[in-house]
Amino acid sequence: MSSSECLRVRGLSASWGTTPVLSDIDLDVNDGEFVVLLGPNGSGKTTLLRTIVGLESPTSGSVALRGRSLDGTPTYRRGIGMLFQEPALFPHRSVWENVAYGLELARRPREQIDRRVDAMLDMLRLAALADRRPDTLSGGERQRVALARTLAPEPPIVLLDEPFASVDVEIRTALRSEFRRALSTTGTAALHVTHDREEGLALADRVILLSDGRVAQSGAPEDVYRKPVDARVARFLGYNVVSERGTSLAIAPEDVELGPPDSSPTRGVVTLNGFAGRDRVVEVTLPDGVRVECRTSQESGLAPVGASVSLRWRRSVALA
Amino acid sequence: MSARATGAVPLLVVVAFVAAFALIPAAVLIAHGVATGGGLGGIARVATDPLNERAVENSLSQGAASAALAGLLGFPAGALLGRYSFRGRRELLAVLIVPFLLPSLAVVLGVETLFGADGVVSSVVPAASSLGSGFWGIVTANVLYDAPVVALLTAVGAESASPALEETVAVLGGGPWAAFWASWGRPAILGAAAGAVLTFLFSALSFAPPLLLCGARCYTVEARVWSLDQIFLDPGSAAILALVLVGLLAVPAALYLTLLARLRAARGSVERRPRPLPWRSPAVWPLLAATTALALAVFALLGSVLWAAARPESPGGAAFSAFVGLFGAGVTTRLGVSTWSATANTVLFATLSSAMALLFAIAAGFGIGRRPATARTMRALVFAPLVVSPVVLSFSLAQFWRPVFGGESTIGVLILLAQATLALPFALPAVEVALRRVPPALRESAQTLGARPWSAYLDVELPLVRAGLVTAALFAFALSFGEFTATYFLATPTFNTLPVELYRLEGLRLTSYAAADAGLLVLVSLVAFLVIVRGGRRVEL
Repeated sequence: MSSSECLRVRGLSASWGTTPVLSDIDLDVNDGEFVVLLGPNGSGKTTLLRTIVGLESPTSGSVALRGRSLDGTPTYRRGIGMLFQEPALFPHRSVWENVAYGLELARRPREQIDRRVDAMLDMLRLAALADRRPDTLSGGERQRVALARTLAPEPPIVLLDEPFASVDVEIRTALRSEFRRALSTTGTAALHVTHDREEGLALADRVILLSDGRVAQSGAPEDVYRKPVDARVARFLGYNVVSERGTSLAIAPEDVELGPPDSSPTRGVVTLNGFAGRDRVVEVTLPDGVRVECRTSQESGLAPVGASVSLRWRRSVALA
Repeated sequence: MSARATGAVPLLVVVAFVAAFALIPAAVLIAHGVATGGGLGGIARVATDPLNERAVENSLSQGAASAALAGLLGFPAGALLGRYSFRGRRELLAVLIVPFLLPSLAVVLGVETLFGADGVVSSVVPAASSLGSGFWGIVTANVLYDAPVVALLTAVGAESASPALEETVAVLGGGPWAAFWASWGRPAILGAAAGAVLTFLFSALSFAPPLLLCGARCYTVEARVWSLDQIFLDPGSAAILALVLVGLLAVPAALYLTLLARLRAARGSVERRPRPLPWRSPAVWPLLAATTALALAVFALLGSVLWAAARPESPGGAAFSAFVGLFGAGVTTRLGVSTWSATANTVLFATLSSAMALLFAIAAGFGIGRRPATARTMRALVFAPLVVSPVVLSFSLAQFWRPVFGGESTIGVLILLAQATLALPFALPAVEVALRRVPPALRESAQTLGARPWSAYLDVELPLVRAGLVTAALFAFALSFGEFTATYFLATPTFNTLPVELYRLEGLRLTSYAAADAGLLVLVSLVAFLVIVRGGRRVEL
């Protein structure tokens, strides 16, 4: 992976009217890097992408692409690709014409357009669909066409705004890896927004966690997952947050062990118990009202609702 | 920023057009009239003239009666059309707009054919002859002209109600009344109110019906302005009265635009499918009855004009012979211009002015899309010439621009400008409503791919609203085709369009030719609207 800087965002703030949406965001994406912007709904992820691409104006801060400042540059001159939640294909153009659109705008020579469009369609297994209209395609096919259209003009970076949210669950995983492959084949950097933490962690070279319009944490997926910086991030990553002797602990549901009532000082009552395929999901409510989720395939997970149990952590992370 | 400027330029072009060819000339005319008519003293003199006072009363009473009746007839029909689907619904929605496109003269002719002395209806039911002339004759013409518009706007409102909300009311145990109050009643009433206010405006401005069905004692302010200027050759008083007219209609016009804006907000950007009509439910029977009554009234109106047109030129002659005579040398000798030339003029001017109105609507649509906050101002601006009224518009256009353009040759230009100005308020909504349904992500995608604002508009948005553009163009074409008041005011004796010829033929009592002329106008409007509905399109107001 090349480490030269592709996108650089400094001190970016934006607001809807008087409500601040983004505050003082710093962010870098290197050439060819796949960065995932992870955060709950309403954390400002989409606004950040729209501001980077110039569809919204920041209240302050700057955006630069490969060292060139984009401040005040209209969207159409930024040269940043973007994929929206909906594929937003032009319904009056065929698949081929959709993919060619950006190249036509750039006034590339005809034979170059032909070659590039065909290459994009081949890469994303769309060659057979070249003459079809978008309304005859499946959801996954549409998103692939949208990616081909975005990659055709060879942008150095593509912004992806939850492009898999509108796709059926069964094909989502396959589509993700196909996207990931296409981006690394073309050497395109990506800034991918999602609220699906598994999707985000699985795809990313680097993860940036956004919370309330601020960067809460960033780093390699494993590092971020292993060491959440605070309770909010921990909860978002799926941890139970329990306070013990004045400190907050983050405990993954897999790391909660259930035992008979007297085997540990931490006790609670089972309030939900459900089958979840490979294992069971057991919710235990502690005396102070905190609910702890436990995923287990052991026999102790069969404790019925109302039963008293004790809890023990196999691993826990102390939070700041 | 540059994106904002891009939106501003086309808007300014439209503003400049309306200002230069409608608002400024009218303001100058009125100001000049007030100054030469004796200033405030002149205003007092004109305002207290008994004939002018009567004209104001006539405008108000005819407007109020027409609005009330059109509302009563149009509301239930619109509720049915907006809420339920049935065979022929789309065609019915299209036919309903046809009277609105006819020159008022053709509507007057229809009223006379139905209810006048020896009318089709009044010869069977003598009491109905009171609807053929005088105050009630005028109101009948206005209602036939406008009740369909009330129905269309009511339908827009009723359509906007959420079916999920109505189903929730039903699940919670609410009957039809509960559904009405909780869900579709409010937007439907909003639509009907907008339609009734529009009826009031058009009726208070009506020109041909008082002229032909009643005479000077029923003149509206609009007709009185015309007669002061053209008959009594007193342009000063006419101008002052024009000011009174604008003052009188400013509030209802603002009210109409506000109601329309609310109606559009209620409608949102989703198009909902109406559910099948529950024929067996007694709750829809009154709606069915009103719809049938309205449809019958419109069919009777159009049918009577076509029937009168098909009647032989002279007793014992062949059917449709009046059409032959209309284009014959006899009519040319009597009028000094041939019907062929009138037809050619009508087609030419309607084509050019609708193209012009469409271009301005496209430009305004672009600007409004980039600067949505300007939408209401732009709608009010393009609507203003209607309130200034066709008579005052053409009168001031001629006064202001004839010296600049010079000579007889300018008539064409002035007629073109007047027709385009009067068609624009109807062409713009068709384009604007269609544009609002295009998902913003399409435009934004185009921009991220490198499309400049105009490229994105031309490459992506306009091709997707082709249906709206066709509707706007046809609507503008049909309105210009039937435009009478402004064209008549500007036309010279050697220049005719079909509606102007219709008036001249009526004046010469050449009734069979007049009927054939009106028949032609009805046919053109019908064809335009069948084309609109065939493509699944509809008219937006």
